[in-house]
Amino acid sequence: MPFMVRSGLLLTILCGSAFLARGEADRFVSNDACKTCHPVIWNSFYKNPHFKSVAFGKEPPESTGCQGCHGPGGNHLDNHGGKSTIVAFSTLPAERVLDACLRCHSQTLSRANIRSSQHTLNGMACTSCHSIHRARSVRALLQKPQTALCEECHTDVRVQFAMPFKHRVEEGVMSCTDCHNPHGTFAPTWRMASRPRLVEEVMANEEPCLKCHTDKRGPFVFEHAAVRVDGCEACHAPHGSPNSRLLLRPVVFTVCLECHNGAGNFGRRGTGIPIQTSTHNMADPRYQNCTACHVRIHGSNTDSNFLR
Amino acid sequence: MAQVPVAPSPDQAGDRNGENVQNYNIVNNIETGYRYRTVGGSIEEYRSTVNFADGIRLLGSSLIVNSKNGHGLLFDHITLSTQGLGNDPYESAVLRVEKTRIYRYDMTWRLNDYVNPGLVTGGGNGQHLLDTQYRMQDHDLTLFPQSNLKFFIGFSTTSQTGLAYSSIQLFNDAGNSFPLISDVRRVWREYRLGNEFRVFGIRVHWMHGWEDFKDDTGATLATSGVPGAVLLPSVPGVSLNSFQASNPNHGTDPYWRGGIFTDRKVFHMNGRFTYSGGRSAFVTDESAQGIASSLTRVQNVVAVGDADRPVATGNVNLIFTPGSKLTVTNSTSLYNVRALGNSYFTQFDSATQTTSVLFYNYLGVRTIANDTNLNYQVSPLWGFMAGVHYSGRLISSQEQFTFAGSTSATPAQQSNQLRSGDVGVRIKPWKPLSVLLSAEIGTNSHPFAPISDGDYHALSARIQYRAKTFRFAAAANSIYNATSVSLSSYGSQARTYSVTGNWSPRDWFTVDAGFNRAHTYTIGGIAYFLNQELVPDQSSLYLSNINSIYLGIRYEIRRRVDLYAGYSRVQDLGDGRTTAAAGIGSAPALFQAVQTFPMVFQSPMARLSVKINSKLRWNLGYQYYGYRQDFNTLLGYRANTGYTSFSFSF
Repeated sequence: MPFMVRSGLLLTILCGSAFLARGEADRFVSNDACKTCHPVIWNSFYKNPHFKSVAFGKEPPESTGCQGCHGPGGNHLDNHGGKSTIVAFSTLPAERVLDACLRCHSQTLSRANIRSSQHTLNGMACTSCHSIHRARSVRALLQKPQTALCEECHTDVRVQFAMPFKHRVEEGVMSCTDCHNPHGTFAPTWRMASRPRLVEEVMANEEPCLKCHTDKRGPFVFEHAAVRVDGCEACHAPHGSPNSRLLLRPVVFTVCLECHNGAGNFGRRGTGIPIQTSTHNMADPRYQNCTACHVRIHGSNTDSNFLR
Repeated sequence: MAQVPVAPSPDQAGDRNGENVQNYNIVNNIETGYRYRTVGGSIEEYRSTVNFADGIRLLGSSLIVNSKNGHGLLFDHITLSTQGLGNDPYESAVLRVEKTRIYRYDMTWRLNDYVNPGLVTGGGNGQHLLDTQYRMQDHDLTLFPQSNLKFFIGFSTTSQTGLAYSSIQLFNDAGNSFPLISDVRRVWREYRLGNEFRVFGIRVHWMHGWEDFKDDTGATLATSGVPGAVLLPSVPGVSLNSFQASNPNHGTDPYWRGGIFTDRKVFHMNGRFTYSGGRSAFVTDESAQGIASSLTRVQNVVAVGDADRPVATGNVNLIFTPGSKLTVTNSTSLYNVRALGNSYFTQFDSATQTTSVLFYNYLGVRTIANDTNLNYQVSPLWGFMAGVHYSGRLISSQEQFTFAGSTSATPAQQSNQLRSGDVGVRIKPWKPLSVLLSAEIGTNSHPFAPISDGDYHALSARIQYRAKTFRFAAAANSIYNATSVSLSSYGSQARTYSVTGNWSPRDWFTVDAGFNRAHTYTIGGIAYFLNQELVPDQSSLYLSNINSIYLGIRYEIRRRVDLYAGYSRVQDLGDGRTTAAAGIGSAPALFQAVQTFPMVFQSPMARLSVKINSKLRWNLGYQYYGYRQDFNTLLGYRANTGYTSFSFSF
């Protein structure tokens, strides 16, 4: 027998043996086997969104039921349990958890950026926030109510929601995901594109503030350039602030004057942002509330100085 | 730090496992009761920050229905939760109805009672009062949600209605600012239709949306004559007897969004393209009649025009995962915004006669950005990430007007580049313990505004210990930014330190506590006029030292009585001074008074929930809100709020 044929036969036998051995070790078992030892999980599993594939009844075993996520249960059954004999998510590194979940959950545009999101880059896995079997929220299977979950790590943001002036997140009328996509976002269409991160665009490509604050959106003939170029955060602290209207300063005139100082090559003309005219006497209280006259400060259709 | 309001109660009545009715399992809870409040001090400030009021409420409800075999007739799953219905300032209803593989319907309805009595916190004498309601609805129907061919149909609307108080300044630069009253009527609607399908292993998504916006808010004079003393000081001899303005502004913004994405073993790619073509048309019709310099003045303003803002974006992300430990991502994005419009402005004035000006304005922003990130898990013990980021931006501007036959145009163009890099290390020496360290440094060649990011760096450290019943975390962040120019400079320092922890040794006892300190110090160059004299090269300082704490303890007695006590306090210590005067530097008193803003906002609360029987609970709660501004005590308040309610399940 020629050497090549013998080698080929040998290789085929080896590969076949390996395949058979692997198939035997990793065999799928019936879901009934799982519920024998895990009755509590199984008995309420019909309330779990993952039950859909079980109910459908036509999915292959690697895509449905317990083994759809935990892998073949043959070894686990033979060894009477044990985390080392099955895919136990509590023992998996973050990247493998992500791989496992994305086998099914990559199928939507809202999660297209999950592998490049800041959460993933910082070592978070799906199971850092989601709990499949002990979820506190039905819809997204979160470990805790969404706000509490996010604030557990983002303590600096939690402080901002404790301020007297804030968006009503703790009050329950808003949630973090109204503005953010924790699974990663495309580059924002305001500021310099790399920041802010995880802020979701709304209405195709707009800053999320504008979905509710529709009157600030425009388009206007006279856009306040800072709003369009640097975004709402140029003047406002979006989560919360000690100052009225979420402003960055206690009074409006310092918010305005810190940019409108005529210095340098700032502004849309590159010659410094225009300074106020000489009629503005800052000693006169009438000129200390800039937006008392410049009422359309976010943008105007009739006045380049936003007076009407 | 932040805590959720005392009501609705998180303790639900009924069996957590629910009850079986035919082929469905039902879990439900309804909490209804009476909420009360008493307020001392500034009721306006209270309404703008807390705003809970008296009355009977459907404080909260939840309904979960699940088909036990996943083969319900019309639906397999229903979730409905509501909050605050019946006149709370923050109301919501969230519904999901789903039939596996056939449809999924999501609805969110929200109401936010929005009150803001003043423009400025420090002075409190701004004219811009808003007492409005935002109503938001989102409806999304997905057909065949688990298949490779999905269809999306959606509708959203946001409306703002209510009373607004504004102002207009007449008849010239030295004129008075007169109060106006408006009935706000703003409506935004969006209709959308889309589809997602799979071809050659690539998922394709597209969506087309149609948006309409209309603002029909007008304005009339609130008080005839001279502005009152509570508003701005008046100029002698300038009064307004009648004023009427209507400013209808209607717009539309159709958009397209398309995306392709894959998620494969080694190489992933996704891309997105969006285009929105915002367009609005407006008319301003304004008439004013008053007296200035002892002469009767009549002024009519008519302006018509339109504005366009097409926005196009494109994104391509490449993700390479050659092994389970390494991920390399590269993102390229482009966006192009052009805002342009015409406004034909005509003013008929009895003193200055007729003026007509045709304005044309253009602002274009084109940004190209590229990010590359590397994420490598060296061993289970540690991993690191690093990234470099580049953004190049071109801003084009043209401000043009035609007046009395002659045209003046101010074109301008500028470009800038932002380059930044970041690195981070993740250490996990022990399964429950994780440490994150990261740093970022960036520089912008031409910041748009003095307060924009110029030369900045950020440092961050976080440590977390997370065991089964105990969690402890500490974090420190700092962001320093300097934007310097020849005449003036801007610099900011922000540092935040926090410690949080919670402990649940038993299912009937939980402690949750935290402390945070946020320090902010900024200095910005300003220039202004005092009595027509320019005062250049001045500094605006702002210093904030905010300490905040929270503590929450939950204790359950024999699975029948649930007690909760919590406390939240935020205090800005400012720069340590006790009065607005005697600030930093030699700036006029006006500027020294706003260099810092010490205040306290605190809220202790307690709640008792008693299980009467398997389907009924009684709840009682109290929450105090105390707000104090150290420099303006008139705007403080003390509010006692509370509620009593029954939670029941049927």
